Amino acid sequence: MADSDGEYQANDGSDDEFGDHQVAPSNRTRGQAGAPSKGQRRAAWEDVTRTWEVLEENEDGTIKRIETAEAKKRARLMKDTTPLQRGIIRHLVLVLDMSFAMAEKDLLPNRHELTMAYTREFVREYFEQNPISQLGIIGMRDGVAVRISDMSGNPADHLEMLTDWVKKEPQGNPSLQNALEMCRGALFHAPSHGTREVLIVYGALMSSDPGDIHETISAVIKDRIRVSVVGISAQVAICAELCAKTNGGDGSSYSIALHEQHLRDLLLDVTTPPATRVTEQNNASLLMMGFPSRTMATGDTINYCACHNRPTREGYECTRCGSRVCRLPAECPGCSLTLILSTHLARSYHHLFPLRNWVDVPWSDAGRSTACYACLTPFPVYSRQLAEHAPVGLSESARYACEVCGNHFCIDCDLFAHEVLHNCPGCQSDTRGVPDGEADVDGTVLQTNGSASAMEIDS
Amino acid sequence: MNNIDASAHYEVEATGQTPSLLTLIIDTNPRAWAALDGSLPFSKAVANILVFVNAHLAFGNDNQVAILAAHSNRAVWLYPPPPGRHARHGSSSGGDRDGDVEMAGANGQNGDSARQGAASSANKYPQFASIEASIVSSLRSLVSETAASSLPATTLVAGALTTALAYIHKTSLAYAPPKQSSDPANPTTAATVTATQTPTLHARILAISVSDSEPAQYIATMNAVFAASHARIPIDTLSLSPHASPTFLQQAAFITGGAYLSCAANPSGLLSYLMFGFLPDAEARTHLVTPSQDSIDFRAACFCHRKVIDTGFVCSICLSIFCEVPEGSECLTCGTKLALGKYGAKPVVVVRKKKKKKRINGLTGREETGSATGTPAPT
Repeated sequence: MADSDGEYQANDGSDDEFGDHQVAPSNRTRGQAGAPSKGQRRAAWEDVTRTWEVLEENEDGTIKRIETAEAKKRARLMKDTTPLQRGIIRHLVLVLDMSFAMAEKDLLPNRHELTMAYTREFVREYFEQNPISQLGIIGMRDGVAVRISDMSGNPADHLEMLTDWVKKEPQGNPSLQNALEMCRGALFHAPSHGTREVLIVYGALMSSDPGDIHETISAVIKDRIRVSVVGISAQVAICAELCAKTNGGDGSSYSIALHEQHLRDLLLDVTTPPATRVTEQNNASLLMMGFPSRTMATGDTINYCACHNRPTREGYECTRCGSRVCRLPAECPGCSLTLILSTHLARSYHHLFPLRNWVDVPWSDAGRSTACYACLTPFPVYSRQLAEHAPVGLSESARYACEVCGNHFCIDCDLFAHEVLHNCPGCQSDTRGVPDGEADVDGTVLQTNGSASAMEIDS
Repeated sequence: MNNIDASAHYEVEATGQTPSLLTLIIDTNPRAWAALDGSLPFSKAVANILVFVNAHLAFGNDNQVAILAAHSNRAVWLYPPPPGRHARHGSSSGGDRDGDVEMAGANGQNGDSARQGAASSANKYPQFASIEASIVSSLRSLVSETAASSLPATTLVAGALTTALAYIHKTSLAYAPPKQSSDPANPTTAATVTATQTPTLHARILAISVSDSEPAQYIATMNAVFAASHARIPIDTLSLSPHASPTFLQQAAFITGGAYLSCAANPSGLLSYLMFGFLPDAEARTHLVTPSQDSIDFRAACFCHRKVIDTGFVCSICLSIFCEVPEGSECLTCGTKLALGKYGAKPVVVVRKKKKKKRINGLTGREETGSATGTPAPT
């Protein structure tokens, strides 16, 4: 037991990412400029599209490039953990460019197909992050705006409609104005307590508009719609103006995708609910909602659901009028009460109470732990060589510490806990040191030392 | 053993069988087990669980198991033993093999079956024996570290779930096919890698619960449950105690597509329930009819009086739930002044009279949209 673990400490823990195994060899061949054989060079030519970026970073040393990619990911994690008021109930219209510009192949396989693939991902992620929000999708082609899917809270609807559009060739001119007008129409009925947002994926460098787009922009501002644009080719003045004006002068919602991965990141960034602006706070309201329980039809009977007129055995009964709906979240078709699962609300809580960032652990403090607290992966032990080749932007000891519970974690668990889990495994697993929850109930104060030493309870 | 330290992934391609990782969470709340002592003593339950674990491992060479205990005040690893305890465990596990007579001494109930199991370990498949030795010694140290005073009635299921998910995530990373990081352009690979995260590893979580859910852990539990559902890890739940209802775990089973069974009527049949209800992994389950739940209680508890309600009011800023309109229509959690809508909404079939239009413009109700004009046609 002890033997095998010890071995792995040396082997597995020294490079803190499994992926490094995979990437490093090919990268190294690229670094030795002329050396690679013919077969390898061909593979590199096919795989890598932006060689100048790779080369530029290669000057620092090959390992570094991979590490900085990892560090970049972590850097993205490090932002905004201050609790903010966020617009949890969102109404967003996604506008996709389907004009001639999207047929370009600077992003592989081409802009259109890539955007469609990422849009599907976006839809899934959006509803995962915002279960009680609405989404609609609009396309820009042939100089007009076409409706791809209506505002709806169900991801399956959108994905179904999107599949029909993947195969259609992008053509015609895009029209920003027509798209914005259609967005205004789609968001017209959005209640005041929710946000109104438009996300435009814009590949073209022009817009063929029927009228004055500035009038539309001022109408959009009046409707309190926030617009963010993800550009694919280059920055366009009208998009920058649109974003700045609709976001209260803050132009940061306009960004240009540098490469495929960046485009995906930019899109998925939008799935996080936006922080509420001070001027909008007066729109808070109290919503009446029903929390129906899941019930089965009695005996051998089958019910028709009120929402789709489909026969079902299981369903949710509206708590006010008793109509049965087959799927949540939904608006009761009988009395228009919002019906949700309480778990949908719980899904949004992590936006309001984000997990605090974990800090790097220096070598001087690393001796406290030999393995990741959560996944039990052994950490590297201190050695001169490791200390000299400390990666940029990452913890030198490959350990990350939660400041609340003081436990050490590996980078995989760090990323997983902050991106997916939103819990700290250490804080949740030990209430001996934290006087909350059950400790509060009977008034006993537990010892305030969170370290994993012997358990002592003062009563 | 090889499976645990992740060296096994180098042989995966050769076998062709998808390995299955069973993560077991055993609720070890002393109070709840004391209440169950008449029908199912803890030692017997552990013996049954070990048989189940062995059955799972016997299913395939690559099958793995990880076992956690959700204790009353902490969640600890039982089976891959945490390396912090290595020195202690190394010496004690050597002692367990031969001279484990003192093993039963720590807990009076740690009775015959467990002792016999460990004593015969010389004739056992080594992996079974090492798991058993590890679990028994971990449980013993856990029990001996528990003070009799101030034992809460709940367990840290949220922490155990969180830790289990982190472990599964790490394990599945080791099994994941090599990422084509140099080719991010291919949308199909990019989409599938995130969508079907563990095609090379079937992971599942089984929680054996004896105590109630703790409302204070609601958010943490739900965070873990949604992370599991995101990674398509089913959370199965077996409820043993007739006195407790693990509501959160019941919801977890529903959300993640796991199975929920209650053997409260007959706890001594634990092994049958485990073997018939929870042995098949995600792949096998597609061919079986898994036990389903008839009705699930999804009602929420309000933040103001802790009443369980089915229709309530929700603050649009912080999503707090109230059973009635709070005083002064101010949210009790975030203090925001909330606008009140018209809650006695009329059925949608009623035709709106023309007169009403005027009022809408003046009110800040649900229908208010901020722009007084209708959607103009593009000019």
